Amino acid sequence: MSDDHSPEYYKKKFIPLIYLVGGILIAGTIITFAADKMGIAERWGFVNATIFAMSVAVVKASAVIYIFMHLKWDIKLKTISITLGSTVIFFIGMMCLTVGSEIDSNKPGHEDNTWNHVEQSDPKTVPDDK
Amino acid sequence: MEIPYYDKERPDTGLYNGKAGIWLFLASEVMLFGALFSAYVLLRVGAEPGTWSMGLMNQWVGAFNTLILIASSATIVMAWVCLKLNDWKGFRKWKWATVIFAFTFLVVKWSYEWPAKFTHYDVTFVTDQSASKVYTDVLGPEFSETQSEIWQKRFDPLKKDQGSNPAAQVKLKDKPLDGHIVGYIDSNGAEHKVGAAWGMPFWSHAFAWRHDRKNIEKEKDKSIRYDKDGRPVYKEGHFRDTFRDRDIKAIIFAPAHGTWDRNEKQASSGAVKYAEAKHDAGHAHSDGHGHTITIAREDISRLSSYEPAHSTFFATYYTLTGLHALHVLGGILVMLYHLLPVSRRVYEKNPVQYTNRIEITGLFWHFVDLVWIFLFPILYLL
Repeated sequence: MSDDHSPEYYKKKFIPLIYLVGGILIAGTIITFAADKMGIAERWGFVNATIFAMSVAVVKASAVIYIFMHLKWDIKLKTISITLGSTVIFFIGMMCLTVGSEIDSNKPGHEDNTWNHVEQSDPKTVPDDK
Repeated sequence: MEIPYYDKERPDTGLYNGKAGIWLFLASEVMLFGALFSAYVLLRVGAEPGTWSMGLMNQWVGAFNTLILIASSATIVMAWVCLKLNDWKGFRKWKWATVIFAFTFLVVKWSYEWPAKFTHYDVTFVTDQSASKVYTDVLGPEFSETQSEIWQKRFDPLKKDQGSNPAAQVKLKDKPLDGHIVGYIDSNGAEHKVGAAWGMPFWSHAFAWRHDRKNIEKEKDKSIRYDKDGRPVYKEGHFRDTFRDRDIKAIIFAPAHGTWDRNEKQASSGAVKYAEAKHDAGHAHSDGHGHTITIAREDISRLSSYEPAHSTFFATYYTLTGLHALHVLGGILVMLYHLLPVSRRVYEKNPVQYTNRIEITGLFWHFVDLVWIFLFPILYLL
C-alpha cells in the first residue's frame, strides 16, 4: 500500500511525527484560546480576529489531514484531491465574478446602465428580419 | 469469487476499496457540515443586536473537549501503527484510550454542558417599567450600567459593533434576565419548590417552563382540554404555556451568571446541577443562588430555557454540536466492535484486512476531530 513503511520507519519517523502533530494541535488550541482571552477581537477587530482564528484552525486541520490521515503518502489521492479542490476554487471564483458584478449594480442609489447602449441605438439601424 | 482490490490498492487511485469508499463518504460529510457551517456564519453575521447570545458559552469546557478530541486523534493513529508493527497488545491499549477519550467528550457534552443549558432560563418583560422594576430588585436602583455591561458580555462579546452602541438599540424589556427557576406561586397564592413540582427534578427544571405572550395572543381557540391525569391535550393552534396549563401566578427566580453585584454574594458562574434541585433549601446556600426574586406572570413576555427553540443561536448550536456528537457516538460503537473477541479472530485470519479496517475507522475519527477544530472557534470564541 502507499502508506506501507518498514517497522523502522514507523518507530523512528512516523511516531515522532504523531507527537509533532499532537503538539501542533495542542499549541494551536492554546494560541486561539489565549488570543480570545486576551481580547484580540477588541484590539484587531472582528474580521481580523476571525481570519486569525480560522488560519490557526486551517493549520491544525492541514496537519491532521496530511499526517494523521496519511495524505502525505497517498500520492495519487493527493493529486485527485488537489485537482478536485482546484475545480471548486475555480467555480467559487467564477461565481464571485458574476454575483459580485450583480451585487454592485443592485446597491441603493446605483443607476443601472447595463442596457443603455441598446435603448440609445437608433431603431432604424436595427435590421428588419422581414 | 474474489473481490478485486479488497485489500490491495487500485492502480488508478492508489487506494483499496474500503479506503476509496471512506474518502467518498467523508467528501459527502464535508458537504453536509459545510452547508451547516455556512448557514451558521450567515446567520451570525446577519444577526440583530441582542439575538446572538454566544457570550453564554463556557469556553473552558469547549477548550477541554477540544484537547480531549485531539488526544483521541493521536491515540487512534498510535493504535493503527501498533497493528502495522504487529503489536496487538499495544493496539488494544491505544484503542481503549481512544474510546475513553471519546466517551469523556460525550459525557462532558451530554451530561454537563447541555443539561446546564436546559436548566437555565431567560426572562424578557412586557414593558420597560416591569423590566425596570425587576432589575431594580436584582441590581439596585442604579442598575443601568451594570446591566448594560452584562448584556454586552453576553450578546456582543467581541464588540463587533463597537461605536454604534448596540446595547442602546435594544429596549430594556427585551434584554433578558437569566437564571434558574427555583419555585413558583400558584393561583391560590401557595408557594412551591420547583424541584418537587412534577416528578423528576431535572425535568421540572429543564424544558418544562415555557411562556411566550405572542403565542398566547396568536391562539384562535383558547380552550384547552385535559386528559384524566390532568395533562393538557393540545390540538392544532395550541401552544404549550406553563403558566396557563399549570395555573401559575408567578415564578421564584434565582438570577445567575454574575447578575448580582460583585460586592454582594455573587451567583455561581457555573450552571446549577439538576440533582441539587431536590434540595432547594440547601441549594440556595451551596451554589451562590442565595437571592431570589418573584416575577409575576403579567410582567413576563417570554420565558424559555436555553433549548433549541430559545433562539437562532441555540438552534444552530444544538444542530451543529448534536450532529457532531452523533458522529462521536457512531465512532465509539465502531471502535468498541473492533475491541470485541470476534475482531481478534478477524485479525488472526487476515491481519491486512483488519489493519485496513482500523485505518478506515481512523480516517472517520480524524474527520470528526477536524469538524470540532472548526466548531470550537466558531461556536465558543468568535
